[in-house]
Parts: sequence; structure tokens; C-alpha cells
Amino acid sequence: MADVLVVLALMFVAAAATAAVLNRDPARQAVVLSLLGLGLAVAFTVLQAPDVGLSQLGVGSALTPLMILLTVRKVRKGKGRGRE
Amino acid sequence: MNPWLGGAALLLVGGLGPSLWAAASGGAGRRVVAQNMATLLLCLVFLLLAQGYGRTAYVDLALVVAVLGPAGTLVFARLLLDRDSGDPPGARWLTPVVAVATPATVIPLCIVTGPGRATVKLVVIGLLLLAGGVATTRAVRRG
Amino acid sequence: MSRRVRMGVLAAGLLATAALFVTAFLDMPHFGGAWHPYGDRAVQASVNRRTANTVSAVNFDQRGFDTLGEESILFASVLGTVVLLRQARDERTRAPRPGPVPAALRRYGLVALPATLLIGLYVIAHGQLSPGGGFQGGVVVATALHLLYIAVDYPALERIRPLGLYEVGDAVGEAAYVVLGVAGLLAGSAYLANVLPFGTFNTLSSGGTVPLLNAAVGLEVASAVVVLLARFLVQALEIEGGDGGKEQAA
Repeated sequence: MADVLVVLALMFVAAAATAAVLNRDPARQAVVLSLLGLGLAVAFTVLQAPDVGLSQLGVGSALTPLMILLTVRKVRKGKGRGRE
Repeated sequence: MNPWLGGAALLLVGGLGPSLWAAASGGAGRRVVAQNMATLLLCLVFLLLAQGYGRTAYVDLALVVAVLGPAGTLVFARLLLDRDSGDPPGARWLTPVVAVATPATVIPLCIVTGPGRATVKLVVIGLLLLAGGVATTRAVRRG
Repeated sequence: MSRRVRMGVLAAGLLATAALFVTAFLDMPHFGGAWHPYGDRAVQASVNRRTANTVSAVNFDQRGFDTLGEESILFASVLGTVVLLRQARDERTRAPRPGPVPAALRRYGLVALPATLLIGLYVIAHGQLSPGGGFQGGVVVATALHLLYIAVDYPALERIRPLGLYEVGDAVGEAAYVVLGVAGLLAGSAYLANVLPFGTFNTLSSGGTVPLLNAAVGLEVASAVVVLLARFLVQALEIEGGDGGKEQAA
């Protein structure tokens, strides 16, 4: 049973990582990346490494999306002015 | 076969899997709703895993998700969603799912745990999750 | 180099890596086996020092010096980012317009902020007992403060965030780790040796220096993340104009 969970979590991680690569728009990619982070946290936990899972949750659930989206906003602002 | 771990596997396949599909395709609104759903269900997955492995310390992961998950959704709602684009598809399911799934997971866990500090912690996580679910739904639907 | 040669070099590199990777895995112990020579010794050592969370015992006691390196990496990279994202001479700042936030969301933000802060501090303080510690808790604390931006408003965040203090906190956290290591030397033992009394197993006051090092890391990480995000927020919301460097390069 425990191994079934490991396989499921790893499959989720593989699917989320592939989806993150296939999405090309950075802002939407950030959403998939956040789900990849959640999947990794589950994978670490079912492999009995909750400390690593907690680190992943802390960094991946709010901090990384915030940094990515702020960067996207800054870059788009610069581009928009360039076109004017 | 451990029913708690079975429940966690079921949530992973039936809840997080479809969320990943919705988060990886379609418009921004649908993706944010899926991300929100995924974090709320993930919290329940961690509660079930903690009980299934018999390790009370793992409950801390659920505690952290209960506050950081909604925070992540609010980041997306603030910086990714278009304010004029109305309700994203699926948003009206968020509150009902959280309102049903949270007690359905937390109450059996409380009964198994018995009275004590651990139960208080479970109830706090449940309340944080409900509050987070309602607030994020509000943020996602503000359109 | 032509495209063909480049692809050839890439293919050779990928094949060699794949071969080495597979060879390395052939000799690995099987998944989920019962033979854990390192794990058994690490658990024994952490129980001897009355640290219930073996991972914390490894990170802050048995391999405390490695963690000093990791902490310094974060310190240096945040410092580098602050320098990179400073306001350039040809850029000007503009006060960001306050955005409309629903009242229900604002209320949630004001309730969730203290709850998140408390959970972060709890994770830092219980690093020697349960999963978590300075890094994880520090990130949660920093996220808690930013609930003011994402659920309330940017000016509200600016009011409770005297950035200078957080910059000092970042440096103090890093310095505290280094100085705690020196305490080991002064006590006549090695650098970063666990010289404090080990306390009672599975209570808050256990693990000797482990909780203190966790607190130092927690202070450093929380402050570093606040300083880092402050730079990102200023760039995205306040600074306008001045991609003069880009124009010159073009």
C-alpha cells in the first residue's frame, strides 16, 4: 500500500513537471509550477522525508509564485512602454 | 491495507489529478481555481497520511498548507486574474467541496485521536482550511 | 561551430551522462531495504544528544558546518539580488495606486496574518522535535508578513516593514550562527560542537545548541526573504522607466 502511494506521487510529479515544460506563458506556467511543488511535497512525505516536504511547501506554495508573477509584471510593464 | 492511506491515495488520484489537468490547460481563471482546489485537498491528504503512517508530527505539514495554500491562491488572484472577467469556471464548486470534504476528513480523525492537544490541532487546521477556502473563493470570484 | 557539430557534441555529452547515470544506479542498494548503515548511526547519535528530530540533529549538530555553508549561500545570493535590483540613476519611482480589495478578503488577511506568523514561529521553535526548523519556519514567517500585500494592500505592508531592521536581522542571523560555532571553540572543543547541556529528550529545551542554531537560521531566512521580496515589489510596483542600459546595448 505504501509503495502504491510512492508510485502515485511520483507519477503526479512527472505529469506536473511535463505540463510545466509544455506551458509556454510564464504567468500560467507559475500555476503549474505551484502544483508541481505540491506534488513534490507529497512525494517527499510518502518517502518519509517530511522536513524536505515542509521546505518545498514553504518555498513553492506562495513565495515562488509571488516572485515569478512580480517579475512577469515588471517585464511586461517595460515591454508595454517600449511599444508605445 | 490501511484505510487512511487508501483515502489519501484516492484524494491524490481523484482530486489532485484532475486539478493538475485543469491547472495545465485553459484560461487563467480555471487554472487558479484548480490551484486553489489542489492546495485545499492537499491539506486533507497530509492529515490522512499522518494518521495512516501513525506519525502525529506529519500533521505539521497540513498545518502549514492550511495557511500557505490560501496565501498562494491569493497571490495568483491578485497578480494573474483579470478583474473584469467575471466568475472563472468551476469557482462555484470551491466552497461546497471544502465545506463537505474538510469535516468529512477532520471529524473521523478527531474521533480516532480522542480528546487532547492533538484533536485541538486537528480542529484548528480544519477551521483554518474552511476560512481559507471561503476567503480564496471570494478572491477568485471577485470579477 | 556548425549546427551539426554542436548537435554531435550534445549527443556525446548526453550519452556519456546517461551511461554514467545507469552505471551508478546498478550498484545502488534496493529501494526500501533494511540495511541503513549511515541512517542507524545518525539516529543513534541524535538520540545520544537527545534530539528527537534526527534530520535537525544531522543538519545543525552532526553536520552543522555544512548548514553554515547553506545559510551563507542564501545570505550572499540575497545580497547579490539587492545590488542587482537597486534603483538605477535613470529610473524614477511612483507611488503605486491602492487596488480595491473586498472587505471579506481584508478580514481574512488580518486574521490569517497572526495565525501564519504563529505557525512559522512554532515551526522554528520545534525544529529539534518535529519536521521543520529555521529554514521552513523562517519562510512561513516571511510569507505571513506578505499577506498584508496580497490580501490587504501594498502601503499596509510598507508600514509594518522597516526594511533597515530586516537587513540588520539578516546579518545578525548569519553572524549568530558563526558566533555560536566559535562558542564551541571557546569551550575547548571543535568549531560548531554541541557544547550546551542536552536537556530532556522530546521537550522544547533539548538538543543543546540545535534550537539556538535553528533560531539563528530562522531569523536570517525570514529577514532575507523579506528583503528579497521588497526588492521585487519595488521593481514591479514602484520603479518606472530607465532601460537605458538595454538601449545602449542595442
